Amino acid sequence: MVTLLKEWYEKIKEAQSVDSLEEIRISVFGKKGVLAAEFAKMRIYTTDEEKAKIAKELNEHKSALMNEFTIRKITLQTLELQEAMKAEAIDVSLYSTSSQVGALHPVMETMDRIVEYFSSMNFAVKTGNMVEDDFNNFEALNLPKYHPARDMQDTFYFKDELLLRTHTSPVQIRTMMNTQPPIRMIAPGAVFRRDYDLTHTPMFHQVEGLLVDEAGKVSFANLKYILEDFLKYMFGDIQVRFRPSFFPFTEPSAEVDISCVFCKAKGCRVCSKTGWLEVLGCGIVDPNVFEAVKYKNVSGYAFGLGVERFAMLIHQIGDLRSLFEGDIKLLEQFQ
Amino acid sequence: MIVTKSWLNEWIDLSNITTENLCKTLNAIGLEVDSLTSCNVPKKIIFGRVLECKKHPDADKLNICQVDIGSSVRQIVCGASNVRAGLDVVVATIGAVMPSGLVIKPVKLRGVDSEGMICSASEIGLPDFCPGIMELDSSIGSFELGKELRSNFIFSDDVIEIELTANRGDCLSIYGIARDLSAAYDRPLRNHKRDEDDDNRKGIGRLLHVNHEKDLDVSLNYRVLELKNLRLPFIIKLRLAQIGEDKETDIDALLLYTTHMSGVILKAYNYAFFCEENDVIAKVNLKENENGFACIASRNIASIVGVKQEDISRVTYDEGTILLEASYIPPDIISKKMALTKLEAGPYYYRTSRGSEPDLCSGIADGLELIQAYSSSSVFSGSIGVGSGYDNTLISVTKQDVDETIGANISKVTIGKILKNLGFDMSRSSADSFVVGVPRYRHDIKNKQDIIEEIVRIVGIDNIPSKPFVFTEENKLEDDYFKYKKKSIFRHRAASCGFFESIHFVFDEKKILQKYGFVTIKEELELLNPIIQTLDTLRTTLMTGLLKAASLNVKSGYKQVKLFEVGSIFNENREESLKMAMLFSGDKEKESLQNAGKPQKVDFATFSQKVSDIIGAFDLRETTTTHSLSHIYQAAKIVVNGEVIGELFRVHPEVEKEYDIDATFICEIDFEKIPYTLKTAKKSSKYQSSNRDLSIIIPKDMKFETIKAVINNNASKELINFYPVDKYSDENLGDKVSLSLRFILQSEDKTLEEDDITSSMDAILNALDKELGIGLR
Repeated sequence: MVTLLKEWYEKIKEAQSVDSLEEIRISVFGKKGVLAAEFAKMRIYTTDEEKAKIAKELNEHKSALMNEFTIRKITLQTLELQEAMKAEAIDVSLYSTSSQVGALHPVMETMDRIVEYFSSMNFAVKTGNMVEDDFNNFEALNLPKYHPARDMQDTFYFKDELLLRTHTSPVQIRTMMNTQPPIRMIAPGAVFRRDYDLTHTPMFHQVEGLLVDEAGKVSFANLKYILEDFLKYMFGDIQVRFRPSFFPFTEPSAEVDISCVFCKAKGCRVCSKTGWLEVLGCGIVDPNVFEAVKYKNVSGYAFGLGVERFAMLIHQIGDLRSLFEGDIKLLEQFQ
Repeated sequence: MIVTKSWLNEWIDLSNITTENLCKTLNAIGLEVDSLTSCNVPKKIIFGRVLECKKHPDADKLNICQVDIGSSVRQIVCGASNVRAGLDVVVATIGAVMPSGLVIKPVKLRGVDSEGMICSASEIGLPDFCPGIMELDSSIGSFELGKELRSNFIFSDDVIEIELTANRGDCLSIYGIARDLSAAYDRPLRNHKRDEDDDNRKGIGRLLHVNHEKDLDVSLNYRVLELKNLRLPFIIKLRLAQIGEDKETDIDALLLYTTHMSGVILKAYNYAFFCEENDVIAKVNLKENENGFACIASRNIASIVGVKQEDISRVTYDEGTILLEASYIPPDIISKKMALTKLEAGPYYYRTSRGSEPDLCSGIADGLELIQAYSSSSVFSGSIGVGSGYDNTLISVTKQDVDETIGANISKVTIGKILKNLGFDMSRSSADSFVVGVPRYRHDIKNKQDIIEEIVRIVGIDNIPSKPFVFTEENKLEDDYFKYKKKSIFRHRAASCGFFESIHFVFDEKKILQKYGFVTIKEELELLNPIIQTLDTLRTTLMTGLLKAASLNVKSGYKQVKLFEVGSIFNENREESLKMAMLFSGDKEKESLQNAGKPQKVDFATFSQKVSDIIGAFDLRETTTTHSLSHIYQAAKIVVNGEVIGELFRVHPEVEKEYDIDATFICEIDFEKIPYTLKTAKKSSKYQSSNRDLSIIIPKDMKFETIKAVINNNASKELINFYPVDKYSDENLGDKVSLSLRFILQSEDKTLEEDDITSSMDAILNALDKELGIGLR
């Protein structure tokens, strides 16, 4: 018996595949297998003692064979799995891939960031129509009909004397006409000027801001504070400079420059060698504007910026007109 | 407005101020420096005097000169036609490196030794303002022969271009800018002593009468002179070139120089123009023309005050009697008149509309001083003036006003000093409040705020410490904010689905819109002054813009174009609404190993899936578009919750050809109608669901929506979903097709048994048979 079983131990240990091992299993442990046959041979032994002895031996072999079988099976399964995986091997470097994701437009995404900053600073976001009237676009902003400052703006007019807004200030006028102070708002949106060349497009985007509170509360120092903080948020570590200027709707007024982001204020072509880039206009709201919206005993500040200007500076885009052509060559750089 | 440092220095002492500091200060007070050009005459270019000048024996155009250069006399051959003995000239000596890079060496010109070069203006880097070599004179100040030009202020000057804001007409002169700098630097202007009238000369009263019909709100001042031998000096010629101005006659050039310097509008008239036949006295009439403009006239109009001078009244001679006029008209009066009646404006209108210098006497005196210095003219004594007096505007402002607006503590002493230095009359001020008398040249100062602006700009905005604003918390999240947020979310979704955000002008070409059957803005509401023909109306769809962009990208070589835009369009009544449009053209996916470098073209199913990935689930129903951009048999309306929210279609092959693009799909959706609300969770069953597949035979042209409707009407509540999984046709089916549908059934109460499923499916099959005559395969 031992010799016979010994043969099977060898066979189990040398089985080469899970399939052939299965065949061995049937041969050894099956109903018609070797062990079953050996158990059947027990009939010839008459005494219980002898039967018990043989049975014990057989069972020991059965356990041992089972053990070997299990070990071999696991080993073979592992090997076969390895082989199978190896057969599935791929050259991963073939699959380095460029993204197929799209992208948001750099101008709109810049506008999103600007809106995000101001709404985190508790400014309300207000929008309005592109088609406006003369009162809300000019007169209420202290720009009467013959004022030379109107030279600064070339406007698109319609046949019925309405116009395309030249700034988003009308949204602020309308807000003031419809609500009482305090006001704390920004007005982002598309605006229109009748100009189309290397540095001007007939449509572009602005964000204008307005703060109105009681008389004597709002000062130029407050205006400086928020704009300095905002500009550092948008451009990082830069210097900010205010220069007195003139706008019909603010007095005092200022233009705000940042130190040139391209040459770090050393002087280059982009900043015309001055080391500074103009980015914002601002000022204390002119009393004539409050008069037009019938606000009394108030003070306020206002500011405005061109979104394309910010986007072009932040992303170093050279050509303004290229922003309006749907050109994937430009857009895919913002994936 | 162009100034030079040396010119400014004639009005205010800038000798200890660097150019860098000057520019910084100008910027800080609101006079923006646009550009700075420094005159840097290289070393070894010196002053010299031509002692002798002989013609070159072998060359017609050359002269052999003996030039005194201080330490010695050099022989220099010069080719200029104006070189002659006695001239003070600019000599580039041996070793000098010219701005052009040329190095001066001893040379022989046609066999004659030449040690150096007599220079023209452009050769040393100055603007080209005189033909031939420069002829120096005493107008450049004193100079020593042999000394380098760089040591002279005029030749180491800085030309600064300042961009003035529209309200600062008072700074359109050297004097005006010096005035502002006087306040900025807290130092006085130089004293300009002007010659008092010499009573020995003949009086003006015998030569000129000025009549005015009525008070016309203009100020005028007249002088008469006999012009003789006027020679413009070097410095005037140089400076006129530096400011980029040119005049035909010397007298006009000199007056222009004076205007640029003093800010006063000066004109020279032909004296005879105002004399009637055989009359010796000139009669000037100040009258109003038919448009309400104040004019200077005799029989004909000589000039329109503040607008232009007529050519017939100009001085065209070098010698003779000249009538000199200084004029002023309030800027808002002339701007208003010009806005109503658009006359052709002369070169001075830029100044008068912004407010020229009202102090006519000093301007005219400056002009006469120059004329007498550089000619042998004789000036008749006395002047004739017209114009009403002017009371300074009085504005009250308190320290509290100033501090509150600026947001800082500015001392009363500082406030008083600044305003005084600006030329304001502070005599009426008291301890507690400032009553400021604003001079006429600051017509832009009308109220308290304007005064406060003067203070803050001289103090320097950068010197004001910033202060955060304290306010009360308030919820600022309103409708417009949520609209903005919704827009942002769907734009992000479109980008993550592979589309690029495109922005187009809100303008379009009317012709194109009409060609493709889109409504356009009603004629009476149209644009009056479009900028170009291709942008002559407002867009009534986003699709034409996207097609144009697709075309452009295909031309650039892109095989796949995926664009989206969320933007405003207008209806025929010019009412604005927001749309979202997507365009997908060309290859379905990028070339890769998986598709063996031959990706398929985008198809209806792929595009619809993409759109749904962005805006959520929708139904598609067959439609005919009102425009002609769509493929007739692949056009759908997008339906959500029973409402049509947009359209989706394949582009018409002819349109694809016109735009030179491949298979293209477009959709345009009403943005407001895209669902975007908080979702409520629905109860879901914990029992297993079951699938059933059925293949039904349907006529070829039967639409799925018909079948869908019947199934929906006859489905039990256990049918939670069904969708097509296969469409099959072959010859055996003839003109019918086999459509396989998968049904998903699930109950909330129990695991469905075979019988339950069968009865649900039977109900559906019965309905399909009864209503549509459709059966199983």
